Amino acid sequence: MEPNKRPSIHISGGKQTLTLHNPVMGASGAFGFGGEYAKLVELDLLGAWVTNPISLNPRRPASGTRIIPLDSGVLVHTGLPNPGLYKAFRQYGTRWKNSPVPVIVHLIGTSPEEISECAIILEGHEEIAAIEIGLNDSAAYREVRAIVGAARSKTQLPILVQLPLASAPLVALPAFEAGADALVIAAPPRGTARDPLTGRLIGGRLYGPPVKAQALRATGLIASQVKAPIIGCGGIHSPDDARDYLEAGAAAVQIDSVMWVRPALVSLIARDLGGLEMTRPAGSLPDEWSHNTTLPNASTRASIFPSVMPLPPFTPPDDLP
Amino acid sequence: MHEAQAIIERVRRVSPTLQRLDVAVDRRQAEIAPGQLLLARTTDSYDPYLRIPWVPVAREQGTVVIERPAYQSYTPGQIVSLLGPVGKAIPLPETIRALLLIAYQAAPTALLMLANAALARGGGVALALIGSAAYYPVETLPTEIEVIRAHDDLEWAERDRMLGWAEQVVAVAPAGFDLPAYTRLMDHIQRLRVEPADGYAYGLFHPPMPCGVGACQACLIHLRGGHEAAACTDGPAFDLKGVRLDGA
Repeated sequence: MEPNKRPSIHISGGKQTLTLHNPVMGASGAFGFGGEYAKLVELDLLGAWVTNPISLNPRRPASGTRIIPLDSGVLVHTGLPNPGLYKAFRQYGTRWKNSPVPVIVHLIGTSPEEISECAIILEGHEEIAAIEIGLNDSAAYREVRAIVGAARSKTQLPILVQLPLASAPLVALPAFEAGADALVIAAPPRGTARDPLTGRLIGGRLYGPPVKAQALRATGLIASQVKAPIIGCGGIHSPDDARDYLEAGAAAVQIDSVMWVRPALVSLIARDLGGLEMTRPAGSLPDEWSHNTTLPNASTRASIFPSVMPLPPFTPPDDLP
Repeated sequence: MHEAQAIIERVRRVSPTLQRLDVAVDRRQAEIAPGQLLLARTTDSYDPYLRIPWVPVAREQGTVVIERPAYQSYTPGQIVSLLGPVGKAIPLPETIRALLLIAYQAAPTALLMLANAALARGGGVALALIGSAAYYPVETLPTEIEVIRAHDDLEWAERDRMLGWAEQVVAVAPAGFDLPAYTRLMDHIQRLRVEPADGYAYGLFHPPMPCGVGACQACLIHLRGGHEAAACTDGPAFDLKGVRLDGA
């Protein structure tokens, strides 16, 4: 019996629909390519999981230092190594097919041509439930439209677009207008830290609890201004963190580095947000745990995220087609 | 590989710089093999954020013995979260009777379980402590181990004789120093043996392992033939013949 189970979330795109039976997903970059966490996390509790970033051609790992520990977090510079889309299919296709929950393939959004080719390859593979496009941090309006539009024109799969945190409020609208069916806010922000081993400064992605405050802010801003399903991601390390994203307007959340440091928490968060708790926690109020939890409506969100930073009015460049 | 709670049952100061923790662990983690490690979380806070690698120096019924620096604080009864066993065991074929262990600028902690396994089979074990490893308190080691101390990189008086005697060599060096150290070691070995046999020389790679399951791709080691392998799932011991020692 699952009396408090949340209703499923449907993300429609093209002719296909991604159905999430739980609002908690595994994020790209943290979850591996082929269910590496199957022994540590109850995968069937999740709504879906997203593969590590995959490019059309193989990419080798970064040389030198790849991990720099930080206060309450870590800087990661892997170089996004992956076997390329064809080999990834050969290596992991069977595992994707046997996954108990939908598998979303994360594509590295380098160029419209590459994304087009990847989308064509993925089209028609029933083991793939959706595509997630990771945008380059420097991608601006025209590039975002071109990359997302290229994928949209080649696939009927639902398209999720993972926005760079720094520019998320600026590129959310063009991504949506170009055909994104949901927006993932956001990719881990970039940072720079000194490598204690070599003494050199290293750039990479930041993971850890401090990321949440920034990503939550962006989620609230975008959710109140773009009519697309929002998937919150960044710094989630407890059920309360995940609930904060839902309160800010997200329809679902993705969990990243907590998987590395406390994998057992992932199942806990999924149970909690999925309304799969069979026992009400002692002392809790009904709206703290039931699926009838009252989420703030748009006007309430507006008070949480006042429009002190409205999205700037966008003027397309003159040379746009 | 799984996540489980463990209890520190005993804390022993074994030298001015080292302490050993007797940790009662889950049954599956108690079956940890030489070379494998556990990823430990000792606090509820996220500082440090990543789990700390714990390499057992011994295991007994339901207990593993962990060696840690003496300045760190642990208390009997303390509950810790352990993830593991991480990685694969260091291969030690039954036929090996002469084992040379080399600790280069690093404590030989990761080699001690292997040394005990070789001694238990009646084999001979020599341990070369190179550079800062020479300050390791050898009174904690089994007396059957022949200890060689060398302060000058990989140069020591009996080196060539020892490399000739050994049927297997296993070396450990800290992350960042591992490739240069293993390159020099292989140079010496190849000079003596021309082409060493497969499985003759292993190097342990201990880069930071955020996830321990091969998902995060942060601990990839470059292998010959353009392949990569994760130290956390395919290592941490790699046959040095198969490793791209230039790191490219």
